[in-house]
Amino acid sequence: MKRRVAITGMGVISSLGNSSAELHSALCKGDTGLHKIEGEAFHGFQCRQGGHLLSFQPETFLQGKPLRSLDRTGRMVAAAATLALANSGWSRETLSQRDVGLVLGTMFGSVHTISEFDRRALVEGPAYASPLDFANTVINAAAGQAAIWHNLRGINSTIACGAASGLAALSYAADLIRYGRQTAVLAGGADEFCFESFCGFERAGLLCAAAEDGEFAIPFDARRNGFALAEAAALLVLEEWEAAQARGARILGEIVGHGSAYNPMRRRQNGGSNAIARAIRAATKDAEISPGEIDCVSASANGSAVIDKEEAVALNAVFNGKGSQIPVTSIKSMLGETLGASGAVQAIDLIESLSNGVLPGCLGLDKTEADMPDLDLCRGPRKLQAGCGLGLANSVGFDGHACALLIART
Amino acid sequence: MSRQATVVVTGLGMLTPIGTGREQFWSALVEGRSGIGPVKSFDTSNYSVHLGAEIEGFRPQDYVSELAPESIGRSSQLAIAAARLALSDASLDLNKIDLERAGVCVGTTSGEPHFIERFDDHYVQGNLANVGQEFITRYPCHVVAGHVAGELGFGGETMMIATACAAGNYAIARACDLLSAGKAEAMLAGGADSFSRITYTGFARLGAIAPEVCQPFDRKRKGMVPGEGAAMLLLETKEQAIARGARIYCEIGGYGLSCDAHHMTAAHPEGQGAVRAMRMALEQSGMTPEDVDYISAHGTGTPTNDRLETIAVKRTFGSQAYKIPISSVKSMLGHTMGAASAIEAAVCALTIERGEIPPTMNWHEQDPECDLDYVPNVARRHKVRVAMNNAYAFGGTNSSLVLRECMA
Repeated sequence: MKRRVAITGMGVISSLGNSSAELHSALCKGDTGLHKIEGEAFHGFQCRQGGHLLSFQPETFLQGKPLRSLDRTGRMVAAAATLALANSGWSRETLSQRDVGLVLGTMFGSVHTISEFDRRALVEGPAYASPLDFANTVINAAAGQAAIWHNLRGINSTIACGAASGLAALSYAADLIRYGRQTAVLAGGADEFCFESFCGFERAGLLCAAAEDGEFAIPFDARRNGFALAEAAALLVLEEWEAAQARGARILGEIVGHGSAYNPMRRRQNGGSNAIARAIRAATKDAEISPGEIDCVSASANGSAVIDKEEAVALNAVFNGKGSQIPVTSIKSMLGETLGASGAVQAIDLIESLSNGVLPGCLGLDKTEADMPDLDLCRGPRKLQAGCGLGLANSVGFDGHACALLIART
Repeated sequence: MSRQATVVVTGLGMLTPIGTGREQFWSALVEGRSGIGPVKSFDTSNYSVHLGAEIEGFRPQDYVSELAPESIGRSSQLAIAAARLALSDASLDLNKIDLERAGVCVGTTSGEPHFIERFDDHYVQGNLANVGQEFITRYPCHVVAGHVAGELGFGGETMMIATACAAGNYAIARACDLLSAGKAEAMLAGGADSFSRITYTGFARLGAIAPEVCQPFDRKRKGMVPGEGAAMLLLETKEQAIARGARIYCEIGGYGLSCDAHHMTAAHPEGQGAVRAMRMALEQSGMTPEDVDYISAHGTGTPTNDRLETIAVKRTFGSQAYKIPISSVKSMLGHTMGAASAIEAAVCALTIERGEIPPTMNWHEQDPECDLDYVPNVARRHKVRVAMNNAYAFGGTNSSLVLRECMA
């Protein structure tokens, strides 16, 4: 028997707000969370744009215990968990009575903590490496820290599928509920902005060539040449439908299906759109719907030259030539690429979009290249038609991962 | 609660400090050979400990053919080698399955640590200009599962599960759920980690590395020994395995996963999370404590782990705990991190197939707090119908997997 998966809470730490409502309103206004990255370490880089969350103050969300043992990623995840649990109506008391799980998607865990730990041992000697930092060098550190902070004793897992990690984590968590392994799971993703990953992406030529204020990565646009690196943490509370109803929880939406695929030809620059389309079709099959029933799409596109187009080709193929009738947006035009968090942030904004009837636009999008397939790309906020109730959140990784999640309004 | 389809193990592949491939590995294991020695992959002269468990003489070009072996990291190379061995062990003809429904699930602690270590070398030498594109294209851990899929042409769900030292069990559990839900027709699941300076430094700094010998559950045990390895299990539904006439090692009865929510590096003092994981695994597989014939322990060899693990087993199994043989193969292999519980799952499958239990080596003196049957020093003939594989990790993460004889 397959159980239904209710979404009962959302928590987000992002450069465009720390609640789903704030985030959605900023996205609909066309605000940008990207800014010029300052600091000597970044001099000489072709890209100087990013979404570094300078205003994040963990003490606002995490009170009553010392924060010292949590690194930045751990703090962002624990803070997003505070918000999601509160939004869902879980208290310290109710959490002590039930084993709630946590499934976190991440690309790096904290590559900054890992690198800093290693560098200190190199410079000062291994005897001076910090044991406290060592605990945070494992990729599942943030999930462990958030579990300790909030007393989450259920299944605790960390999923790494690159930039598709957030949706992969939501898919995994949804299955845990559907097949009766857990009745409540916090799921989503996180990645921090740090010098180490920025430097790596810059050297791999994946970041946008945007050196000045006002220049940024524009998904799907003919001028795109890379993405802007950003950070966020986003968690949703998923619950078994009847258990959610029994505790009187407010149900914000439902995960009705998901699909994943991998493109084994990635290294040979081939077949990307095929894997993306397979993931979306698998999601529609899982949800027992036809692709034509999808009302709107939150795309993965982040400004990457190749992958954005592969995604567009895949969407067009899945919609069987009717792509021009289904509104598609990319919120990464404003938030940047938040890696492991991205899919979960998209899911959160999609729920807001479905319940408010407005889909944010793709900021800055002007013309697409001539051979880009015909899609209804939103250039500004779009009022959804009455009755729109089914959204697709789509994620595509840099290395062949594709994941699709279908969310229904309740 | 029951899953729709039974999942079985039909192929095993492993690369370990004591041997590569099923037969070499198994004979080393039952003979009690050690894969532990002085660390060779980096200079430990400024460390207070020097033991490690590394794989010697590994030739990636013997296994990696579709991808360029030098274009991927060592964890990926080891994982691909384990995957190739598992496929050949399973006699699975890749032309006869739908590759778009074949997936890969790999557990890890560190992914490809050598690339961040190289980045750090450049950083401290003031040579960041030498960081090339390979850092970001080869380092993030998701590439390991991707490389396995890329090498084999698998297009199904492919993911890394990064739950540190319990990751192998987590990966097998996820693969089982995908198969039983009908979302895949073949899954390679396991774990991989390569010998890491960062991991070594951390465990050395925690004072957790054994200075001379790894002796889990012994009264004088002084620590664990970091290692490297990879193991992959080929999993498919029982129905499919029977239809294609495959040799079946065992079935996956169920799994239990939990979190202590107590401390990042120390287990709960009463083993609460570990007990919940074992109970969940028993419940899911419809088994009672009396049904379990063998427990493959996490058994790292640190004073605390082995004591708390013993407490947790006793709390779960009651007086039955004293009747179940328990062994730690880490006494021979060292702790192969994310690969460990995948290798140990393969050990469980082989104990079921062969009716023999590998020993806990270097056990000489009983610890009053570790008073169970640890199968000291000599392998033992023992019929195993049901085996439990336990693994624990940083972050307070616990995992128990039940593997059992597959009835026709």
